[in-house]
Amino acid sequence: MGNRVAIVGIGQTYHKSNRKDVTQPEMVAEAVRAALTDAQMKPKDVEAVFTSNMETFEGMYLPDHMMVDEVGAFMKPGLKVNTGGTTGASVVEEGFHFVASGLFDTALVIGFEKQDCGDTTAAITAAVTPVWGKGVATGAIGEFAKQALTYMQKTGAKEEHAAMIRLKADKGACKNPYAHLKLGLKSIEEVLNSGYLVWPLRLLDFCPQSVGACALILASEHKAKKITKKPVWIADVVTVHQEPFRAGSFGDPTGTEEYSQDIAAERLYKRNGITNPTKDICMAEIYEPSNWEEMSHYEHYHFCEKNEGWKMVEKGITEMEGAFPVNPSGGVIATNPIGATPTIRVAEAALQVRGDAGEHQVTRDVHTAMATALGGPNWTVVTLLKRSL
Amino acid sequence: MAELMQDRVEKLKDLDVFVYHGKIYIPNTYTAGAVGSRFLIEIRDNKKIMGTRCSTCDVVYVPARSVCKHCFSQLDKWVEVSDKGTLLTYTVAGQSNGVQPVDPPIIYGIVQLDGASTGMVHMLSEVDFEKLAIGMRVRAVFAEKRVGSILDIKYFAPL
Amino acid sequence: MTTEKKAEKKPEYIKVEIARPRAYKWSSGKYLGKLYKEALENRKLVTNRCPKCKQLLWPPAGVCGRCNVEAGEDWVVMSGEGTVLQYTYLVFPLWDPHYGDRLANPYPTATIKLDDGVFLVHFLEEKDPEKLKNVKRVQAVWKEEGRGRGLGDILYFRTIDE
Repeated sequence: MGNRVAIVGIGQTYHKSNRKDVTQPEMVAEAVRAALTDAQMKPKDVEAVFTSNMETFEGMYLPDHMMVDEVGAFMKPGLKVNTGGTTGASVVEEGFHFVASGLFDTALVIGFEKQDCGDTTAAITAAVTPVWGKGVATGAIGEFAKQALTYMQKTGAKEEHAAMIRLKADKGACKNPYAHLKLGLKSIEEVLNSGYLVWPLRLLDFCPQSVGACALILASEHKAKKITKKPVWIADVVTVHQEPFRAGSFGDPTGTEEYSQDIAAERLYKRNGITNPTKDICMAEIYEPSNWEEMSHYEHYHFCEKNEGWKMVEKGITEMEGAFPVNPSGGVIATNPIGATPTIRVAEAALQVRGDAGEHQVTRDVHTAMATALGGPNWTVVTLLKRSL
Repeated sequence: MAELMQDRVEKLKDLDVFVYHGKIYIPNTYTAGAVGSRFLIEIRDNKKIMGTRCSTCDVVYVPARSVCKHCFSQLDKWVEVSDKGTLLTYTVAGQSNGVQPVDPPIIYGIVQLDGASTGMVHMLSEVDFEKLAIGMRVRAVFAEKRVGSILDIKYFAPL
Repeated sequence: MTTEKKAEKKPEYIKVEIARPRAYKWSSGKYLGKLYKEALENRKLVTNRCPKCKQLLWPPAGVCGRCNVEAGEDWVVMSGEGTVLQYTYLVFPLWDPHYGDRLANPYPTATIKLDDGVFLVHFLEEKDPEKLKNVKRVQAVWKEEGRGRGLGDILYFRTIDE
């Protein structure tokens, strides 16, 4: 293993559907300033800058070049990464590797997306090879819809369980000052009465298109201890790839495929001596584009037995006050600036470890937290954070 | 390596290649933001070219920018610069590429307006190619109908 | 961290909208070229087999990513019949980003397992949401005139009796 690396600064923008008052770089600058303020650092204290977004989504070629001045990267080293939906977690991993290697003592990592500037579904669909022709012209949402149907049929979960997840997410979002959709939902009926978007997914079953950015400052052990009294240590990051479209881009209606989530979780737990995930880990911020996806992920990250994800919801285990809180921030279903979404998962998990999440701080004491990311052809990145190593 | 390549070519020689002609349709929007919008609106409404000034670094950015790249200050001091300036460099585009705003030949130049620290890219016109020279003095010619675009400055012409 | 400011007067912001389909060319390579050619000329779905694990690669490929071996010329003509594993239908309007047309709306798509064991995603002929629930066995219906669009030369999958 390399040197120890900690998160010492956390910043994000508020999230909306539209931001005409800023350019893409100016929006990112807001998150960078917030992270620098949080760490009480100046731009000159940052050695390298790493950025990530979905690039083609906003039709802006090389956005990292355009925003050099606004993110304080002028005359500094750094790279841009794009790994699809996971990109905001891959950029954290990239910064982690560089600092762990000893090459840099401090690194700024940024995820961002200005979705009011593009057409995400068109971009996702255009990203597939023409081999599949019109056949997959449903963007990501069509795949998640089919996966929801599979989950329903396989496990016996009801639409009510998905609605409970949405209610839980909205409760968190309403307490999170940076969340996008704060609907103030009162009952599961409100979710069940929303119209179909892509059957069986309803409007309230799926994530919005958000505009926003999230920045983290990473530092090596000796720097981290000088910068903050509350460093959040990155204990481990695991990435697992899977080939696209073997059985649909997300999930597996055939019941024969291995999931990258399972492999990533098993690898992470084995490497870090975790034998009972929901006991050894105190909470998780997971990447759930839909409420159905969240239940499925409970199972694939081994938070429960297979086919029993919906029971965790029924028992309220994953509520903010529950034994194993999941997505107290409101999650992706409330806020989804794609390139920033996985960075926010890490940021929110780190805030929980620090005890700085404010109104949406979970009841359980969080000494260890997990953040996950899901991308295009079933890629997974999992990040493990700890209060002390 | 060469043998391996040869082997591959040999193996695949009976297979056809196929080129797929497609179109990608992704509508995009660019938001100029508060600073960019004010820069464009001043040209549109008042024929004024404005920049933002960093007093720490003593730099005036034209077109206006929100952040100083040297010191990361947020810039909120607006200054009007002259519509006259100096040609820093230029080139002549002779071929059409479909996205150019006017027909070629087009003289592209970088102009540093009096009072600005930075150069801005634009086009030149009303000029003999033979007389084009670095250091030449130029002035902005505004378009009759202005819509809030950088082309509200129609081109730069010799003084 | 930043919080949203309430603006006193609504300021004017400028934006530029770009809506221009961008043409591109995509080279199929030799293996996929065979898929396109067979679809266009013979209305057949073909693919090749991994020499090591003997599984069908799909779509045709020069390597088997699972075995890390070079795939060869072991071509298989597939049946074009299969089973619907999962389906959905889109209710919101969508652009077809490959051709720049607006797609019919709503329309159903399904993950189909061909009898040869490979999976693909395609349209279904059946558009009635109630009847869709019972669609199991399907067969590829090719377009009257192929346009060299590979799987796009299949119009949709039609329900067949078991």
